[in-house]
Amino acid sequence: MKYAPPFHRTNGFMPVLLALLALVVIPLFFSGTYARHTLILVFIYAILASNWDISLGLGGVFNFAHIAFFALGLYSYGIMAKIMGIDPWIALLLAPVLAIVFAAMLAIPVLRLEGIYVILMTFAAAQLMLQIVVSQSEYTGGTSGMVLLPRLTIGEYRLSNDGRIGYYYLALLLLAASTAFLYQLERSALGRAIKALRDNKYYAIARGVPEGRIRLLTLCASAIFPGLAGGFYGAYLRVASPDVFGLGFLTITLSILLLGGISTLWGSLIAAFVITILTQVLGDYGSWRNIIIAVLIIAVVVVYPGGLHAALQELWAAENRVRTNLMAAFRRHFGASARAAAMKAPDRLVRTTHGNVSVCDTGQGDKVIVCIHGNSSCKEVFRHQFAAFRRDYRIIAFDLPGHGASPNGNPERDYNVEAYAEIVRDLVDALELGRPIVFGWSLGGYIGLEYAAAGNPISALAICGTSPINKFPDDMARGYIATPHMELAGKRFHSPHEKSQYATHTVGMKKGQEPLLWQAVWRTDGQAREQAFSKLKTINWPRQTRLMRDGTLPFAMINGPNDPFINHEYCRSFHYGNIWGGAAQNVGNAGHAPFLEDHKTFNSMFREFLQTLP
Amino acid sequence: MISLDTFLFILASGVLLGGLYALMATGLAIVWTTLGVFNFAHGTFVALGAYIAWQVTQSVNGGMGFLLAAALSVIMMYGIGYLLHFVLIKPFERNANLVLLAVITTLAAASIIENHILIGWGPRDKQIVPPVSGAISAFGASINIYDIVVLAVALFSLLAMALFLRRTSIGRAMRAAAQNREVAELMGLNVSRLYAMTIGLSAATAALAGVFAGSLRFINPTFGTDPLMKALIIVILGGVARFTSPIYAAFIVGIAESVSVYFLGLYWAPAVLFAMMITVLLIKPEGLFGHRSRTL
Repeated sequence: MKYAPPFHRTNGFMPVLLALLALVVIPLFFSGTYARHTLILVFIYAILASNWDISLGLGGVFNFAHIAFFALGLYSYGIMAKIMGIDPWIALLLAPVLAIVFAAMLAIPVLRLEGIYVILMTFAAAQLMLQIVVSQSEYTGGTSGMVLLPRLTIGEYRLSNDGRIGYYYLALLLLAASTAFLYQLERSALGRAIKALRDNKYYAIARGVPEGRIRLLTLCASAIFPGLAGGFYGAYLRVASPDVFGLGFLTITLSILLLGGISTLWGSLIAAFVITILTQVLGDYGSWRNIIIAVLIIAVVVVYPGGLHAALQELWAAENRVRTNLMAAFRRHFGASARAAAMKAPDRLVRTTHGNVSVCDTGQGDKVIVCIHGNSSCKEVFRHQFAAFRRDYRIIAFDLPGHGASPNGNPERDYNVEAYAEIVRDLVDALELGRPIVFGWSLGGYIGLEYAAAGNPISALAICGTSPINKFPDDMARGYIATPHMELAGKRFHSPHEKSQYATHTVGMKKGQEPLLWQAVWRTDGQAREQAFSKLKTINWPRQTRLMRDGTLPFAMINGPNDPFINHEYCRSFHYGNIWGGAAQNVGNAGHAPFLEDHKTFNSMFREFLQTLP
Repeated sequence: MISLDTFLFILASGVLLGGLYALMATGLAIVWTTLGVFNFAHGTFVALGAYIAWQVTQSVNGGMGFLLAAALSVIMMYGIGYLLHFVLIKPFERNANLVLLAVITTLAAASIIENHILIGWGPRDKQIVPPVSGAISAFGASINIYDIVVLAVALFSLLAMALFLRRTSIGRAMRAAAQNREVAELMGLNVSRLYAMTIGLSAATAALAGVFAGSLRFINPTFGTDPLMKALIIVILGGVARFTSPIYAAFIVGIAESVSVYFLGLYWAPAVLFAMMITVLLIKPEGLFGHRSRTL
């Protein structure tokens, strides 16, 4: 299963669009050549660093000849345009050819070597290129390099006119093309094969990934845009000097990659701005500039190895926490009447060992039903059950931490199924519920199973939209149908599009039908989703299987036949000691949330189940 | 056909180069075999050693000055190398990406040292005055006495280092840490300190090589690049299977360099060496004298 939404449906779309617009507009306000020159350098460094990530980050190939691709692009532009007299534009387009050929040649020894030997070999190969360039002084100008390379013109108009505006937009175009290329490459079959070889080489080979061809393509793909950037650099500065092979250039590009974060496309683009502008600002300090940059590299590697990208992610997570918490606080104060109207009962905060949770309690009756909602939902999802059963039962629902009207919890401590089951136990103690009937939906089904399996007081258990699991994670693949929405269930940050997709598919509703549930998806703390999913592995699954197999607890499974997620075949084949009706039951034509979509049929079936209880 | 004295001259200069290179490469090799990382700052250790020695010879003249300079440079570089371990390698010695991270931090350290040299001593060429002069002639070729002294001292230092590693308890502890870190720790050895001492020892040999190289040619802030490249070629060419592997390879490289400088010219010589190294990497990645495992 792969989940790859089109770019305009992801969270990255708006920031990237805004950044691109800003870069298009900036030169209109800064007409000085210095600002534009700095930005052109930023773009070139960004292309170099982000393309290096194909081999270094995605591929795990420590290619230290990457800067040589750039240098070869630069020199081939120089030789083609100046000595062979080819039109500069054609020379620019042909500039990457030599770099790609060199990359293909590098692939042969890289295949035979591992680890540090790859670094040394590629490093030496780049030095060999430098020596060859320096030795061919009649073509390359030797150590002093080539000067007065042909400039780019459109008709009679020089790109350097009007404060280098032409070069600025050409460089921006190159950066945009390179970024689009990298984005597509990472999501393509080739990109996944490259990552597979990095993560587990022998498994990837066993699954039919051809190592030799993929390594060759990795290196060649990482040479295209550096080669073009090299040609552009030659046309822009009109100088080709062997300095570009040097350690200084390599160190700056590497520091951009590291500061941005390895294996992150956007990180190195942002870092290119930071580092290049820093080097320009520190330009007056001469040698101290290089020392400051080098100290910065060591500091980042030692203190904060994730780089800028990880910092941005943390910042985003913090923003998400604060925003969703404020949203919940706002709704607690101002949305109480809407919720009370839906549930016909007020809600209040109850203290548990995992923080306060918002509880809605009808408060009357000896027999108690506790309802547990699913991932990214809220307690109001059970309002039809409140209406139908409040006469005969005391019915209770609560918002999990990070959901609905409950405040956010501690991501490490409070967002996992065991913690949620402890919350149920605390509520049973605090509200003196005795031995309740527990009804859990989806993720809530696992909470109910965990609550019962841990030996807490319970008189019956019903689950809905939950596949029982014996062996994790194998049974996850069997119990659920692989759809992109499964990916969304454990994803931290949803884009607006993903949020509405998720809301639509989990409860089978259209926009506007269920405002409270719709809001709940927006309100849910992203870390609650991520943590609950990533910690599924810590649950004692066999204990739940034993509970269902022993059959001492009255148990019911009521699903929607059109549930897009669960595998009904699998649910039927599971062994149950004492399941109501002898098998998993289906409700009409309902989907993942039958108690909401077809609540009349569901409620009458649920009442039948309740009546079988002593 | 070349004459005998030309041949002897090429051979002699190749052997002298080999002696210097052996000092540089052995320092690089012991760090590689012990810590499993490649030190890209090794070249700047050579340069910094040369500059420290030059500074001392500016205040104390003559043969005594040279001896004092060499000794001070070696001792100071030992200390610098020892301390650098705790900044460059120690923070992530348990990290899965140690090899790549060490490349990055040592590259950064190289940049820091090189720029400090530039700030402290300026960009102009300098030379350490050799303590002895004069030449002897044999078979029609004239050889500088100082060259012979350099070669003898270089070989003697390598011999002393080999004896230190094999016959003293600290040396044996360093080899133990190189061969099996966990067992060495279980035996109660302070592996971090031994690692730091290894880098210190490596920096000290680099400093000695720097003092000699600085008295044979001019030094400038980018002086370290060439020794780094040569040491890299030698270590790969010879492998690091035994203490002596890079030493043999150093003499091969030294002689190959002087032969190709003579016949092909100054610019082609490095290309020949790199091509040699890449060929060896392709055919026998563990090096000419190597086995698959690394020991000290």
